[in-house]
Amino acid sequence: MNRLDALRGTTPQKPHDARAIAALAANPGCARRALLDGAGIDKDAAARHLGFPAPFGQSPFAITRGNVFEALVKADGCAELLRMLRELLGLPIAEVAYHDVENVGAHLRHAHTRALFDRAARDGGDAGTVYDHPLLSLDIAGHTAYLEPDVVAFQLGGRFHIVEIKSFAVIDGQADPSAVAAAARQAAVYVLALRRMLRELGHDPLRVAHDVVLVCPENFANRPVASPLDVRRQLGVLERQLSRMTGLDRLLDGLPADLTFDLLPDEDGLPTRPAAELADALRGATARYAPDCLSACDLCFFCRDEARQEGATDLLGRHVRDELGGVASVGEALGLADGARDPAEGQEEIARLLRNAERLRRECLA
Amino acid sequence: MSLLTSLARLRALDEGIAQPIATVRHVHLSARPMVFIPLKLSGEAAAPLAAVLGTERDRPHLLVVTQPRNRDLRFAWAAELAGLLLPYIEGFLAATETVERRNADPYERALDAPQLVLPNPAGVAFTRLLGRSTRFRRADGPYPVPASVPLLGRWLTYFGERAAFPGSSLMPAVTEELGRHWASGQSGLEDANLAAQLGWITEGPSDDAEDPLIWPPAGPATDPGFDAEVLAPAIESGSAERVTEALRTQLEPTWRLMWRAIDLLAGLPEGASVAQRWEHDRGSFSGMAAQLAEGAPPQARRDGAVAAASRLARLERAQAAYEVQRAYDDPLVMAEHRLTGEAFAGEVVETDPEHAEGEGRSRKLRPLVVIKTDDPVRLAPGTALGTPQRRAQGAQLVSARDGLVTLKITKGMGRGRTPAPGSVPEVGERVCYTSLTDDFQGSAALPEAEATPWTHGGPPREYEPGDEDAREEWS
Amino acid sequence: MSDRLDQLEARIDELRAGVRRAMRVKDTATARALRAELRAAERSWDTLVTGGLDGSPRVPDGAPQGLVTVREQAHQALTLLGAPAQPRLIAAVGEAFLGGTLRGSQLTSLRRDEERSFASSPYGRPYYLCAALTDRLAPARGLLTVSTWPLERRMVGPLSPRVDFLTCAIAVARHLSPDPRAARLLARMARNIPGGAAGDLGPPDPDRVIEAAANELAVHAERDTRDRADLAERATSQLDDRARLFGGTTLITVAGAAATAANGGAPTGPPAGPYVLGAPDKGAGATAARTKTRNTPTRGRR
Ligand code: SF4
Repeated sequence: MNRLDALRGTTPQKPHDARAIAALAANPGCARRALLDGAGIDKDAAARHLGFPAPFGQSPFAITRGNVFEALVKADGCAELLRMLRELLGLPIAEVAYHDVENVGAHLRHAHTRALFDRAARDGGDAGTVYDHPLLSLDIAGHTAYLEPDVVAFQLGGRFHIVEIKSFAVIDGQADPSAVAAAARQAAVYVLALRRMLRELGHDPLRVAHDVVLVCPENFANRPVASPLDVRRQLGVLERQLSRMTGLDRLLDGLPADLTFDLLPDEDGLPTRPAAELADALRGATARYAPDCLSACDLCFFCRDEARQEGATDLLGRHVRDELGGVASVGEALGLADGARDPAEGQEEIARLLRNAERLRRECLA
Repeated sequence: MSLLTSLARLRALDEGIAQPIATVRHVHLSARPMVFIPLKLSGEAAAPLAAVLGTERDRPHLLVVTQPRNRDLRFAWAAELAGLLLPYIEGFLAATETVERRNADPYERALDAPQLVLPNPAGVAFTRLLGRSTRFRRADGPYPVPASVPLLGRWLTYFGERAAFPGSSLMPAVTEELGRHWASGQSGLEDANLAAQLGWITEGPSDDAEDPLIWPPAGPATDPGFDAEVLAPAIESGSAERVTEALRTQLEPTWRLMWRAIDLLAGLPEGASVAQRWEHDRGSFSGMAAQLAEGAPPQARRDGAVAAASRLARLERAQAAYEVQRAYDDPLVMAEHRLTGEAFAGEVVETDPEHAEGEGRSRKLRPLVVIKTDDPVRLAPGTALGTPQRRAQGAQLVSARDGLVTLKITKGMGRGRTPAPGSVPEVGERVCYTSLTDDFQGSAALPEAEATPWTHGGPPREYEPGDEDAREEWS
Repeated sequence: MSDRLDQLEARIDELRAGVRRAMRVKDTATARALRAELRAAERSWDTLVTGGLDGSPRVPDGAPQGLVTVREQAHQALTLLGAPAQPRLIAAVGEAFLGGTLRGSQLTSLRRDEERSFASSPYGRPYYLCAALTDRLAPARGLLTVSTWPLERRMVGPLSPRVDFLTCAIAVARHLSPDPRAARLLARMARNIPGGAAGDLGPPDPDRVIEAAANELAVHAERDTRDRADLAERATSQLDDRARLFGGTTLITVAGAAATAANGGAPTGPPAGPYVLGAPDKGAGATAARTKTRNTPTRGRR
């Protein structure tokens, strides 16, 4: 058994989805997260078991809206989608062949997808144009994650485009930048997975365009509009992060040999491991809490609690921490400010600034 | 955020209570603010779900779309909202003053202006979208709406644009204003939660603030758990009362928090420049009302290239002016500049009020002042200086060393052979000088709209909303 | 009575909080029990508040609407269209041309009912609403057809979805009535056919739509006809009567297809939470979506 599997123990592996893979890059410096993700541990379940359930949820209205919009884009043989691809990519009229990969049973879908794309890459235009819900795969630290893009479009001229359907609105040509950024990160995962598939099949991976097609509702209506989205940067970040995930051995070397994050699930899948023991095990892997974790990682409340107990300046955000020149604890920073503590070597400058700031605050608030 | 604020955050964390980072209030507070808390349907761009609003804390008006997917009900909701907001807004138009201008005709300015107080920046953004989704509607044609709806849309659009203007108080977001005056012991991201932020300022932090069952989010997004467990079944049941009651539970707690926040801000003395910025707001408000009265078309969907550039330039100037004014108004804000060496404060230890430069006709009075300071001064000789103690005064740095700064006064001491009484600080007086000054370069010369270069799309066509705008689905 | 209402409201609040608390720690058993209690309390509240006048304000799903059943309405709409179609389009046609009150969601279980009926007494009905068949001779997701159609028409080759869409557009244009709902439906279809719509505004011109659709049809017709004929031949030789109507393989069951059509795949919306700004790249799917896919490869968006 390799060490990552030992970390997971008897807990079933949690498969990664595109959003989770995209989020790997959210806090690259965190060893705790890298290990948990690398071992395929269900962080959400772990957080719940620790008594710190993640503050995430999805409204049924948002889910319905997303489903309705995707159905609309694909309705009637992808009529709306074909219109947009014709406008955006100059798709010729003859190219309308549609493959609903989801018509194939789940266990065959990946193989079917491979066969379809192999044929498309070999035979060119005759093979198909719109592939609905193909199933791709990507290797994450030795585990295979299966991924399902909304649509892959294949175009005369031999290029594949990932189509990402999102239900946030584009209003007067503008969309919520954070929503677009998230869509780009996610689409990059699909581009990478499809490129790797083509390479394995012996085709040129660069036939997958780095411009993905983002389809969103326009203004306040349901009418879809497509825009090209360049995901080269996101691809770069993702590839770098994935290559680091293969370097987990280094992280593991520093940990006790018997360390495990096993939840010890019973027959019903409910964790039986004492929560305190699990918490201790997790603390064995260093975290790097930042307030951004609150929107990106299931363990955020656990790690925030830990940071609070340690009185870590991380709690206030990267910005504050940077400004403090890396002084890691609240007590230390305040000690430097009121002169109760002598600066260590290299801290002279920040200590001087803090003492000055403290003097000014006192003077103004007197 | 400056090191001073970071230090205040550390102190807050250590003491378990927020710390002041301002000694005066930098936002105008209306005597009759309209508190406005909108909620939207999750997953939709601008589908209103409910709002609570009002100018009196014991008389909140609750407006609910009991079937959020029904567009007729949405427009009926917008009309109801207009029925409350328009009389409030228009009520400020009657009492005006005449303002004389150099090189331009005098104009009428409202003596007071409306103020919409929103919980957070997301609420402000949603209000702007509400404006965008209603201003092109028409009272006639294929999808008619009451005439008040497009009018409301134009006002909300105006308030939304004005909210982006630094220092404007026409539509403040409470979490932002609180964050300008107090440092909590949590991150900026967590400060966006009104209940959590107020908790830090009043009683100290509590995990309750993050529990949507105790403190529902301040909108416009609702809690997903509430959506799933309460709202969806209520809508499904078809019972309007039940939907209304459900949404009331989500809005009432925030309504109380909003007034609590207003009280807190009102407890601070008003900064010296606040009235001046409010005067701009009043002028801008009157200008908008005049445009509406003249029958101008609704605001365009997008700015032309020149309009966008000149808007950016105006925002930048307003931002700079706002920062300087806050520093002049508030010693605690000025302290940030003292920390970086762009300002200093101390005691006057020596003066030479009759010091002069030049001879005969070119003789100029240049009183000298020497100030002893503990601040690290990082200003070069010759730097122009201003002082909050005498705002009309201009000065220049002569030298700074060993905690002693010498400066000469160049402006604001009168025209006589000796300085006007009180214009030169006395020995023993505490003073503050800074290189921040409020006279900024005039606007960069931007071409008139008609002369937009073709590289920027050519002259903009006057925006004429077409049928398409009016009919745009709102589904 | 208001005392009783007050009590009920307090109880409802308590139960709601309980449910949400249970959901947060994913204690589904408790949540279910509390939810049942909650629904009961809410029903009592409704009854009290409305003075017990009307118990249920809603028409139960699937009940006959007027005189024509859902099944008959769907049959009429499909006959008008003359090609395999999705529930959405069938409902839109029913509404615009047949004065129907069909909803797409009412059609999802129809195919399963039809198959059951056929199994118990084959050819007992004059027609069945049945499946379109894919190139694997399996039922295609979310498409309905009529058993009396020629087999080729019920086959789905790669080009067939487009060909069927164009065929439907022509049918809608031919039947265009003064009903504004019909015009809206045609306008929506016309927009997606090259040369089918003059601009975004104004009522669509049916002749123009017919011409544009026919032009594009001409591009695809030959290959599609060939593909469909091949498939029909295979279906005739390989499938028994029942499989020919409702699909051959059991890889994807009809019930499964209906469920997928109803759910329409995984949620697209971004997750929300107190600190989630916009759409974070975080998989925070709803419980239902999670459990649904636990043992299958993960869906794209969660
Ligand atoms: S929440 Fe904890 S485990 Fe997750 S990324 Fe942040 S610090 Fe790492």
